[in-house]
Amino acid sequence: MTYNVLIAGVGGEGVLFTSVIVARAANFEGFDVRGTQLHGLAQRGGAIPTHVRFGKAVDSPLIPRAQADLIFALEPLEAARFCYFAHKDRTNFIVDTYPVKPVYANLFDKEYPTYEKIKQMISPFAKNFVFIDASHICDQKLGDPLDGNTMMLGLAVASGMLPLKKESIIEAIKRTVPKDPEKDIKAFRFGLEYKE
Amino acid sequence: MANPDLMEKEGKKVVLLGNEAIARGAIEAGMGLSACYPGTPSSEVGIALSAIAKQAGFYFEWSTNEKVAYEVAAGAAFSGVRALTAMKHFGLNVAIDSVMPTIYTGVKGGLVIMVSDDPLGHSSAQSEQDTRFYARMGLIPTLEPTNAQECKDLTKLAFEISEKHRIPVMLRTTTMVSHSIGTVKLGKIPQPKTKGNFVKDPESFYCLPPALQQLHERLNKKIDTIELAYDYLNRIEGEGKIGIITSGVSYQYLKEVKKDLNGLKGVKIAKLVMTYPISRSFVTKFLKGLDRVFVLEELEPVVEQFVRALAKDVNPRTEIHGKDILSRIGEYNPETIQSALAPFLKAKKPDFSMHEAYLKKIDLPARKAVLCPGCPHRSTFYAVKKVMGDQTVWSGDIGCYVLGIQEPYKMEDFIVSMGSSIGLAHGIQKVSDQKVVVFIGDSTFFHAGMPPLVNSVAHGTKPIIVILDNGVTAMTGHQPHPGSDFTGMGDKKEPIKIEDVVRSFGIANIKIVNAFSQKELQAAIKEMSASDKLGVIISRGLCRLYMRRLLRKQGGEFSKFQVAPGKCKKCLTCVKQFACPAIMHEGDKVYIREDLCWGCGVCAQVCPVGAIIPAARRKKNDV
Repeated sequence: MTYNVLIAGVGGEGVLFTSVIVARAANFEGFDVRGTQLHGLAQRGGAIPTHVRFGKAVDSPLIPRAQADLIFALEPLEAARFCYFAHKDRTNFIVDTYPVKPVYANLFDKEYPTYEKIKQMISPFAKNFVFIDASHICDQKLGDPLDGNTMMLGLAVASGMLPLKKESIIEAIKRTVPKDPEKDIKAFRFGLEYKE
Repeated sequence: MANPDLMEKEGKKVVLLGNEAIARGAIEAGMGLSACYPGTPSSEVGIALSAIAKQAGFYFEWSTNEKVAYEVAAGAAFSGVRALTAMKHFGLNVAIDSVMPTIYTGVKGGLVIMVSDDPLGHSSAQSEQDTRFYARMGLIPTLEPTNAQECKDLTKLAFEISEKHRIPVMLRTTTMVSHSIGTVKLGKIPQPKTKGNFVKDPESFYCLPPALQQLHERLNKKIDTIELAYDYLNRIEGEGKIGIITSGVSYQYLKEVKKDLNGLKGVKIAKLVMTYPISRSFVTKFLKGLDRVFVLEELEPVVEQFVRALAKDVNPRTEIHGKDILSRIGEYNPETIQSALAPFLKAKKPDFSMHEAYLKKIDLPARKAVLCPGCPHRSTFYAVKKVMGDQTVWSGDIGCYVLGIQEPYKMEDFIVSMGSSIGLAHGIQKVSDQKVVVFIGDSTFFHAGMPPLVNSVAHGTKPIIVILDNGVTAMTGHQPHPGSDFTGMGDKKEPIKIEDVVRSFGIANIKIVNAFSQKELQAAIKEMSASDKLGVIISRGLCRLYMRRLLRKQGGEFSKFQVAPGKCKKCLTCVKQFACPAIMHEGDKVYIREDLCWGCGVCAQVCPVGAIIPAARRKKNDV
């Protein structure tokens, strides 16, 4: 069975970094890995999801519609935007509630939906969801809001939403940021052990 | 940051991006030189090669444009050294003038041209070009990988084919191949051969007619030989009376939905790896005895037309489907393939009506790409608009500043091709009395902006030319250009100054301004607008994203700005006209998100009541 992870967020939040860690960790565990990593405009505040799929043998780089197992969203609006990859029978959501209001919402006085509303949007497509103010918590506890994604990886592994071993994630972090892995490992462990 | 897996040992399994796998394939082929100009979706080939050039021992450069890059690679290949150039589809339009003749002359060392098409336009605004037509026009042997493993393996093979048959070979991908990741089993890395020797060879290189016709004949023979020799690359899977011919990422989507299409029972699949020349004997054999054939290919019906023509001779009764059931526009995905084939294979169409209905209803605020917080281009656009108003013609070009096309600026009236802004402005001014302002980036100026600027001087038009100099090729990930202070090998170099180039064309009316100073910018534009000579404003300010990365490496951050309590009059100039993504407007409140602010301070200059002020520093390393 292929496990499908969709990572969504706003350019600059660590979407690519997260997908590299998940893909590497899955590779360490011997899975066949496929997925997509769109570059370019994603860096410029756009909404670009990356797909990571792992299993015995994976074909398409894109997750087929309604077949995501985990939607890992670094921004709440982006969790709702990619619901078409989700299905109530199989999709878990883990969502950083730290919002980034789009410029166009400011320009045209469009309202940013409340969390309650976003939860309502997601729930018809979600088996289960976790909302966590990860960037904010990391800013306060670890001194850098950019650690939010790595902390959420810890939460996802601890809760079983991401069926990879914590050792594989730590190895993947070491491989990805060989010069200074401690900061990310600390954020990952913080997520593993986090209790609300 | 280099992907450490690029140089992993033989036999290891690693996850690579398609483009990284192409770079690895080139290294496994012993490539000695690579020259590229960045263009997404191909950029990461050069990014990967640039990062490991020193370690692997080959030469790498980011050339001035794709044509130069191709010529540099061809020069190495003329001298017996294996070389690779990578570019996006539009890059091939630039390079093609030199590609065409070198297909005739041939090469001594292997020469691979990697070209990536971008259906849907993830990173390309101007057209959904199908580069496979170039293969047919130029008689360029072409391989098409479907996944990351094939990206590596076929790059290596492309070098071998090129060197054996002495002809440049194209490796053609699309975004979903170049930007897909996959498990790759690595091969051996040999010592690269970096030293060559050009041996005079009039029989190949003296192409004046009538020798040209002999070269053409030799080329035709090469193509016929290649068509037969690489027949074995194409694969047939399954058995039945229904056939599917496919290549590229469509093959992967087809495999994905196999289980939803009754396991593709009674279906025979032909996977084309070499898509020019397509093996006539392979397709002939495949078509025999089939009742029905489907051709799955994104963009234009290139393979379909080939199959239709061939079927007339070998199996005229077979029914052929392609662009009648699938679009020529945009990308495919597993669902489009499933939906198109389902009715013919007695399978169910996928039903996503619940998803579609619900998503239509919820109406989320759009999140389009925008200029970064602190971007020097935003400051320049704001100043130019403030002085010139809305009636000016805005002649746009290619780079991050294409984002100026969007609200609230709308300051790119057209975006055509690299360097086109100046020639178009010249043409408009030859037939109208309108004021025209050109926006062209530094890298784009070096790429293709110099010839049209010389032309404007020579033929006397007077657009205001704003050169947005942010120090690097920013949009594709901060590659160096001739005006940068470092090379593609990571060495320091003396930048070529844009003002020196412009001055050498006989232009005296030059202003160099700080892109983060509204005062300097607006004064320069007023002066240029009043002048009756062609004027060049160089708006200089380092790319903020690039600067931030350098800064974070040293543990620093930008110091921030904030809205002073009680001073804001809610005029919303900063929100509606300046439109920085860090400035928020909610209810009755205007505030700056410190975590998003990159401290350029231009909003403080734009605020008419002085309500925006520096915030307290958080760390001592902040600047």
